[in-house]
Amino acid sequence: MPNNMTNDELIINSRAKLEPAPPPLRKAEAEGGCGVLGAVSSYPIAGRHIIAATENMKNRGNAKGGGICAAWIAEPKKLGVDQKTLESHYLLAVSYLDCNVRQEVERDFLKPRYEIEAAKRLDHLDNFRDIQGLTVEPPEVQIYFVRAKKSALNHFIDDNTLDSLPGDQAENEFIYQQSYLFNKTYYQSLGDKKAFVLSHAKNLLVLKLVGYAEDCIRYYKLEDFRAHIWIGHQRYPTKGRVWHPGGAHPFIGMHEALVHNGDFANYIRVAKYLRQRKIYPLFLTDTEVSVLLFDLWKRVYGYSLEHTIEALAPTTERDFTMLPKERQEVYKKIQMSCLKGSPDGPWFFILARNDPRERAGELIGITDTAMLRPQVFSLSLAEGRPAIGAIASEKQAIDCFLSSLNQEDSKFSRYADRYWNARGASYSDGGAFVFRIRRKHEKIELACENKFGDPVSLPALKDIKTKGGAISLAAGADPDSIVKNIQEIPVFLAALQKDSFSQLVTNIQFLTRLIDRRLGTQGYRKARIAELAANALESIFDKIPPGENNTSYVRAGVAIKNKIPPPPSAGHALIIDAAGFPAEGPDSLSRIIVAAYGLGWKKFMIYRASGQRFIGCGLGPASAEVTIEVYGSPGDYLASGLDGAKIIVHNSGQDQLGQILNAGELIVHGDVGQTFLYGAKGGKIFVLGNTAGRPLINAVGKPRVVINATSLDYLAESFMAGDPHNNGGFVIINGIKINELGEIEDLETPYPGGNLFSLASGGAIFVRDPNRRLTDDQLNGGRYEELGERDWNLILPLLKDNEAHFGITVEKLLAHQGQQKNPGDVYRKIVPVKTRALTLAYD
Amino acid sequence: MDNLRQSTATTHNPQPTTSHAPHHAWKKISKWRVGYTNNCIDCGLCVLACPYGVHQRLPGTLKMAAPKNSGCIGPQCESILPDNYCVKQCPYDAITVTPNEEFEALGDPRYTPDLLASLWHMAEYGEAPPEHLYERRIGKSGGGFDLMRFNFKRLRNERPTSRDLDNISISLDLNRRAYGSKIKISVPWYGGGMSYGSVSLSVMLARAMAAKAWNTFTSTGEGGYPKELTPYKDYIITQIATGMFGVREETAGWAKIIEIKYAQGAKPGLGGHLLSDKNTPDVARMREAVPYTSLFSPFPFHSVYSVEDHKKHVDWMMTMGGSKILVSAKVSTPTDVDMVAVGCYYGGVHIIHLDGSYGGTGAAPDIAKKNIAMPIEYAIPKVHRFLNEEGIRDEITLIASGGIRNAWDMAKAIALGADGCVIGTTDIVAVNCTRCGNCEKGRGCQHGIASTDPEFTEQISPEWGAQRIINLYNALSLDLKEILWRLGLNSIQELRGRHDLLYYLNDHQ
Repeated sequence: MPNNMTNDELIINSRAKLEPAPPPLRKAEAEGGCGVLGAVSSYPIAGRHIIAATENMKNRGNAKGGGICAAWIAEPKKLGVDQKTLESHYLLAVSYLDCNVRQEVERDFLKPRYEIEAAKRLDHLDNFRDIQGLTVEPPEVQIYFVRAKKSALNHFIDDNTLDSLPGDQAENEFIYQQSYLFNKTYYQSLGDKKAFVLSHAKNLLVLKLVGYAEDCIRYYKLEDFRAHIWIGHQRYPTKGRVWHPGGAHPFIGMHEALVHNGDFANYIRVAKYLRQRKIYPLFLTDTEVSVLLFDLWKRVYGYSLEHTIEALAPTTERDFTMLPKERQEVYKKIQMSCLKGSPDGPWFFILARNDPRERAGELIGITDTAMLRPQVFSLSLAEGRPAIGAIASEKQAIDCFLSSLNQEDSKFSRYADRYWNARGASYSDGGAFVFRIRRKHEKIELACENKFGDPVSLPALKDIKTKGGAISLAAGADPDSIVKNIQEIPVFLAALQKDSFSQLVTNIQFLTRLIDRRLGTQGYRKARIAELAANALESIFDKIPPGENNTSYVRAGVAIKNKIPPPPSAGHALIIDAAGFPAEGPDSLSRIIVAAYGLGWKKFMIYRASGQRFIGCGLGPASAEVTIEVYGSPGDYLASGLDGAKIIVHNSGQDQLGQILNAGELIVHGDVGQTFLYGAKGGKIFVLGNTAGRPLINAVGKPRVVINATSLDYLAESFMAGDPHNNGGFVIINGIKINELGEIEDLETPYPGGNLFSLASGGAIFVRDPNRRLTDDQLNGGRYEELGERDWNLILPLLKDNEAHFGITVEKLLAHQGQQKNPGDVYRKIVPVKTRALTLAYD
Repeated sequence: MDNLRQSTATTHNPQPTTSHAPHHAWKKISKWRVGYTNNCIDCGLCVLACPYGVHQRLPGTLKMAAPKNSGCIGPQCESILPDNYCVKQCPYDAITVTPNEEFEALGDPRYTPDLLASLWHMAEYGEAPPEHLYERRIGKSGGGFDLMRFNFKRLRNERPTSRDLDNISISLDLNRRAYGSKIKISVPWYGGGMSYGSVSLSVMLARAMAAKAWNTFTSTGEGGYPKELTPYKDYIITQIATGMFGVREETAGWAKIIEIKYAQGAKPGLGGHLLSDKNTPDVARMREAVPYTSLFSPFPFHSVYSVEDHKKHVDWMMTMGGSKILVSAKVSTPTDVDMVAVGCYYGGVHIIHLDGSYGGTGAAPDIAKKNIAMPIEYAIPKVHRFLNEEGIRDEITLIASGGIRNAWDMAKAIALGADGCVIGTTDIVAVNCTRCGNCEKGRGCQHGIASTDPEFTEQISPEWGAQRIINLYNALSLDLKEILWRLGLNSIQELRGRHDLLYYLNDHQ
């Protein structure tokens, strides 16, 4: 063998002896959107909190596959080893679909190859039918703590002249290849599958079965099992009646486990790219090839994490041109060599990794270039509290997870300090974030950075103490004075909860203001204020009786959903505890609201929302008198179809809000997700924070929208909303954010994307861009214009409304670098131009 | 909202009545031209010979009137009716029968002149044209349904009595699931989506009135729901497509069936495109867009990128439409159409509507029509078999569309595994579409079908159009019943999946 080979060539060459699997002609199964969650914490987390989150995303799976991964395991003893062994040995987890094969496997396969330090059968429930809905018996799982057998490894190294590989690389490759051979022998080649390797990294364990992710934790009794990194996956495959747990996520590379939400368009091409490098997929799913790619680029080719991510999700178009020159050059080379293998199609990956060499644990979320799948990141980073990073396909899952932690132990916050979306393959954040934990002086520290290695950090925030403070405030005191003395909130809240409804309306209003409050928190953690206020509000709501009473409220919940009385008076509000309501279907919260509306109810307050979808849908036209206020984490499609009613969300919204919204008002005290206001036709809409990808696509008519932060990309594509000065629609982008200290800050640019107002034929966008950051190359069929007086008169009333909703004053918006400016110096207008594409009758 | 939806839902319609509905201005284009030479002595033997009434004397005279070309079956008469063939019967060799070039220039190999003329005949008279006048069973595309034949049990020389036909059931249940209202349509087809803007309001109304008369459905297409259609709302499917044009919760609530159009077989992956010229102020108002700009519907639903998203979408429809609503997913036919179908099923839809590649008006680009989707006759059995293997076939209604032209095409699609069909172009041909293909440009169709220009659209009144379509449906249902009778079957359900009753001709047969 030539000795001038590079390490990666040597490794790939060593695989020549692997017996290749037959080339796939087609994916074995189709699957699409799945529910994914990843969490990492400086403090070990028990499995039951993962259950809380994945159960909340049950409707993103169909019981045909669920899996979890735990890394940086905090309880080696439960696995039968000590901490040292846990870290030094490979944790080989084998799933035995046929238990009879175990002795044979151990004798013929494992013993000749591995030194087995410890072995343990993973404990599980006696009867899988104890878990409701589980129809296929989960496999027996045996875990082995192993190192490569000296003789076998030496033989492997000699055989393939791998002696030049540094450190543990040869052993890693040895383990990797043995697992391939294992799966080939006991899984892929057999009609009747016998066994397969679940995972083989150090300090990382994967489990999967035919069912839901939470079934994994319950069946293998991991509710109390603690680890620092977790991922969970709900799968939604659609073909075939027989499933094997082998097809469920996560899939493994060497040091990592990956879960995936989406679907590739170029599976065959990716599989061919891998075959050229002597990697043969055995499970024939998109997810498997994704992690094989990751392992190839990261471990074999030795790419940095940044470059691995670039190879997976290449930076294109304007984002590429916005990168620094040096980066462009490297990226260009990566794209030239890796583009053939880059997975194309809507996808979102979450990876859990243990990097033994760096002695770091990682949780990574990567978005595809086109940002086609929903994703939310969150970070909780307050002094004296556990640091937590979380990634999920839906924000509701993160909130459920944090809530579950908080209910058990109040040192965990109920809300994260920051939530955000990644801009896929962008120059601004790279579309990927890494949460990394390291052990430092017996403590575990968590840090977060984006694809480029830029840290995501929060300012130092104070926590309101719940003890002390002697001033007692009477319930119903002036809210503003309390906000001025923010430290007294806990005292006030305590007093307020003792109060028996005397000032109910004022108190609810006040608590709502506290929940919404972002501005002027005087350096105190917003998350904590919101938590205290939300807890207080929930306890007040809980005390309101279900029948008619002496307050102007009536409470309903899942237990009494069919016994909702008609409203005693028009002024009465129906308070609905959303807990326990399914996200969709005949018994869902949205249908109950519609039914109550049929009884005459016009005012609704929904609390403890947790992913319930379609809130406000089905009310139909002529519903202008209806008001719905939502507390908690509402689900997708809220206000989609709204035709007159008013909905206020006292939190962030999720995906697909306000589709085809025709009339009414929608106010969101936070961010919103994908395809916001798709095909909207009217209404007044206010968003405090960001909108993710593709807001207002194909909107027509007269929607009038204020977005105080920005939109990630594809804002108002094919916007067709007439003439703004003649009853048409428009969007105002303020390009600001309210930071964690409660101050208004200008964003670096009011709009980072490369597709602004593409192919729009009507309406206008008004952008607050005092630094004139927007450039012509962001437009495709639009034109910048100066803001005229008439324009300002048009948008001012909306900005005034915005001020009333969020406290963002017009004065503040017109201020720039400490000076008051004219509206025309601050705002710019974007109008459509008649492009060829819009007027050409092709022949 | 609910009471809006319930009004006339359950009343069953009496059999719709057919009546003669000629075009007020059109001269019929005959297939053959019959002429008299100077040798003619007006003897009138031909008048006696011809059973089709081609030859007639001028009333009250002995002179021959101009021949009624449209009745002539051409030179094949010699072999079919040797004793009646005028050319041979004429003692003076004074009669010529020649092909009419104008007729031959009509249509295209899929919609041959014969097929078009037979559909026009059906639309005018409410019954099939006389045997031998046109080849109305197949076209000349050289593939697909045109090369498929039935193994009939009863041959052509046998004729069914009207009682035989009355005993055959062709009604179709659209809902086989445990939820949603039970809807039975009287014929195993309904009308496909054509938007306001792509066709005129009169055409939409005509289709809706005909759907009501026949207790079936027509679809709004993606261009809004004109108010004028609301009297027929129980027979109208609200389509929700990727542009979401004109879709409001209210219009979704009017419908008994919501159709989610994911793709169109004629142009899968391309989305909709209404060219600027046809976006007249009326159309723009309906879609709430800017007049005279091209209107695009995106190629996907940007809110649906996966099967899980699809389920969410279906749940949304059911929330907007209420518990009685049925949901149909219209998909095109990619190579993995079986996966698509099974995904649709798990999303909770009642109807899977496969749209194959033969459909589409002039507005769909040729390159797309001819090259992207799988022909429908491949897609249907693939999906039918797959759903059977999954054990879910009887929970879902499988509807096929994309180039279904007549009763034979429907019967073939159903024999291949569909439950029923959707027709689009056939409706349009009934109101005198000539398949000229100039649907999308300029002011649109000069026959006033695919146009919203008032000068053009005045040519078609909704009542006349409705009568034409009612007539057509009558003829189609008789044809379909006769096919079933010839196959020895009693109902359309018995035909489903009976591909053994079909055979395929190869090039040499």
